[in-house]
Amino acid sequence: MSWITVVWSMNAAACLTLAAFYCVVWCKQRQNRVHLVFSSSAVAAAAIAAFELAMMHAKTVWQYEALLRWIHVPVWALIVSFVIFVRLYLHAGRPWLAWSICGLRTLVLILNFIFTPNLNFRQITRLHQFSWGGETISVPIGVANPGGALSSVSLLLLLVFFVDATITLWRRGERRRALFVGGSMIFGAIVAWHVPLVVWGIIEIPFFLCFTYSAIVAAMGYELSTDMARTVQLAQQLQTSETDLRESKDGIDLATKAAGLIVWTWDIAHDEVWLSDKDRALFGFSQREKLTSERIRSVVHPKDRQFVRHLVENSLTTDEEVEGEYRIVLPDGNVRWMTRRGRVEFNGHGQPAWERGVLMDITERKQAEEQFRLVVDAAPSAMIMVNAQGRITLVNTQVEAVFGYTRDELIGHPIEILVPERFKSHHVSDRHGYLGDAQARPMGAGRELFGRRKDGSEVPVEIGLNPIHTSEGLFVLASIIDISERKRAELEAARHRNEMAHLSRVAMLGELSGSIAHELNQPLSAILTNAQAAQRVLGNGADLAEMRDILDEIVSEDKRAGEVIRRLRLWLKKGDVQQHSLSINEVVQDVLKLIRSDLINQKVTVDCKLARNLPTITGDPVQLQQVLLNLVVNACDAMTGCNTSERRLLIRTGIENGSSAVVVSVTDRGGGIPEEKMKHIFEPFFSTKEKGMGLGLSVCRTIIVAHRGKLWATNNTDRGATFHFSLPIGAPGKTVVASSNGIT
Amino acid sequence: MSVHGATVFVVDDYAPVRSSISRLLRAAGFAVVAFASADEFLAQFDPQTMGCLVLDVAMPTLNGLELQHILEKTGSLLPIIFLTGHGDIPKTVQAMKHGASDFLTKPVNDEELLAAVRMAIEKNRALRQEQAQLFEIQARLATLTPREREVLEYVVAGKLNKQIAGNLGTVEQTVKVHRAHVMQKMRVQSVAELVRLTERCGIGAR
Repeated sequence: MSWITVVWSMNAAACLTLAAFYCVVWCKQRQNRVHLVFSSSAVAAAAIAAFELAMMHAKTVWQYEALLRWIHVPVWALIVSFVIFVRLYLHAGRPWLAWSICGLRTLVLILNFIFTPNLNFRQITRLHQFSWGGETISVPIGVANPGGALSSVSLLLLLVFFVDATITLWRRGERRRALFVGGSMIFGAIVAWHVPLVVWGIIEIPFFLCFTYSAIVAAMGYELSTDMARTVQLAQQLQTSETDLRESKDGIDLATKAAGLIVWTWDIAHDEVWLSDKDRALFGFSQREKLTSERIRSVVHPKDRQFVRHLVENSLTTDEEVEGEYRIVLPDGNVRWMTRRGRVEFNGHGQPAWERGVLMDITERKQAEEQFRLVVDAAPSAMIMVNAQGRITLVNTQVEAVFGYTRDELIGHPIEILVPERFKSHHVSDRHGYLGDAQARPMGAGRELFGRRKDGSEVPVEIGLNPIHTSEGLFVLASIIDISERKRAELEAARHRNEMAHLSRVAMLGELSGSIAHELNQPLSAILTNAQAAQRVLGNGADLAEMRDILDEIVSEDKRAGEVIRRLRLWLKKGDVQQHSLSINEVVQDVLKLIRSDLINQKVTVDCKLARNLPTITGDPVQLQQVLLNLVVNACDAMTGCNTSERRLLIRTGIENGSSAVVVSVTDRGGGIPEEKMKHIFEPFFSTKEKGMGLGLSVCRTIIVAHRGKLWATNNTDRGATFHFSLPIGAPGKTVVASSNGIT
Repeated sequence: MSVHGATVFVVDDYAPVRSSISRLLRAAGFAVVAFASADEFLAQFDPQTMGCLVLDVAMPTLNGLELQHILEKTGSLLPIIFLTGHGDIPKTVQAMKHGASDFLTKPVNDEELLAAVRMAIEKNRALRQEQAQLFEIQARLATLTPREREVLEYVVAGKLNKQIAGNLGTVEQTVKVHRAHVMQKMRVQSVAELVRLTERCGIGAR
């Protein structure tokens, strides 16, 4: 056997081996058609080698013509497989070129079988036989067929196609592939031009197409085997990562199991839901059945099915996470609360493709919520829970009773629905302020609070605020107490108190009548005497300067008398309590005017130490005068037994140490208060005096407490006692009405 | 038209009352000196001044009644007209007991006040006259010798000369001489006259 036979046969054998190998590979990975294409191109290359060998050994022209005709079949197969290979594997080459080449080559194949003897020769006149490589080989001599130009054009297009694909690969950065695959293909396409040269009789050599093609096949084979090697590597990596994945999946399983999470995936296009086997068992689904969304819905509590349908519909319209809570019924009839969270993924056309999410068993939380709701509902006061946006999320029965709204009319509405119009804007900002520093505390310290009923009327309330931090954010639980009744009682008590104070004033006035008559008498007396003096002055011949003095004095004395009467009227008036901003020193001075002549009669000297620039206080001037007068009268009474030189009374005003209150104290030099009586002196009907009713000091304390002040007594270190009272500076209080300490 | 050199003192702590009363009294022709307190009055008071005192009862420190007490102790003859805001019976009684000339309630009518003042001044004048006479009688009494004084006492007791001589252990003639001296020194014409004088000095019969 000559080496030519050996070489061509080995070539064919190598190609067949490759073909067989990749055919097996293709059989195992059918989706990878490149292997099939490659396999077929290798078979074609082997066939070409066989044909060429046969053609070299052809003995007759007829034999050669037949062989040359049939070699077109493997050549067609080879070229078409190459083109497909380039498109499929390298993703390169222009499609129109690919189609053109395939079409042209098919045309060439068809024409080849139409023309006789074949497309290449119109006629083969003879076989030129010569010795080459130790063997006698045949080379055809004849007339070339002009149709063979088509074959040449196809070869040219193939060359262009390969060059274009190679450039694309090169630009894409796949330089090794461009070099090996593209380079070998271009080389092959160029070398293939020996065929027309032989046909046209320009050179005289046997056809050796199979070698150029097998070079290409070898390059492709190398490329594919690199891929295969990489695939094996990848497979190993995959195995490793699969192990990792399994481990992490096991971890997730463990975590989801621990958290009570059920992970699901819904293939929306095929309406199929994936659940783990364990979870399928939980819901009572069999391991094999297809889980459609309808099948899943069948385990939802009948009352919640409509809700779930809406929930799913909603989730399909957005790529954000959608959450909802509903009940499901387990196979054993147990009802569990679930929260469903899911997020839809959309495909390239904006269609919902997948939804992935979790289900979580929240039955315990729901039960706790239900318990919370029951507790809230059973609370004696009205309770309202408000979320961070100020919307009502929970109310109890008492709220309905206090405000006249039904539950449904409140849930979801802003809390301001319950706030009177005039406070609304403030309330919104106050609410934001509270959220910034949420602590349990009473609302609106020092202010009177009102709620607004459904009918528009207002109800006085007291409100306690409690922040509640939950996974859903900050909530505020407000407990609201309707204080209408208390207000009424307070008003009633205040009325009693004021009446009592009035009675006590009237009684005190009786005791002081002498002093008051004197106060009135003095100016009246001066007026009368002045007027009569004037008459005489006129009789003596008018002295104008004298007359002016007299008239001035009459006017001023008349005013003085008027002032006394005005004060008396105030004193006796039985009206509402006034709220004035007043100076405590003025109160002291007014009282001293009222009792002046009594002090003179009793030979009591009064020393005043009144602090300057005292802040004002708020209160009823008459009631405060009453308190001070009471204390002064008591002090005088306490000193009736003393020598006249010792009857000294000290009245002091000032600011209480380190506090925001004005203090007034009345110090006498009498006998003091016996310790055992000290704690009783402010009780009603307790008196140390023979004539006393025992109401003076108790009324005084009531008045002072109503002014948010304190009244107390101490014994002096040397002799006598001191009574003190303090009043808060400034702030007008609701307190005259609010803090009741009524007398019975 | 100062009324016979009398001065009316006004003491009241309340200025408008003090000034209006002063005006009224001046318009009625009285000389007036006013004081705002009892202490001020005491500091300036001259017991020799003729007139009266218009005094407010209720005053700080020293009140009207206390001032009356002080004046009484010094033997003042100044009649006091009290003015008071309201008629307080115990005080009125106390004041009158101690020789108050009048006790008027404010507001006081001018005629009432002026009448009281005139009466008080008149009273002061009478008191002062009486006191002057008393001083005259005492002066005459002082000129008597002790024996003449003894005789005088027996005479006003209505003893006869003989009885007196017997009592004194002397003779009737001597008694007669003494008696004549007494009548002469006392500047009386009759025994009845002598008796009237000595009664005013509180010299009674032995």
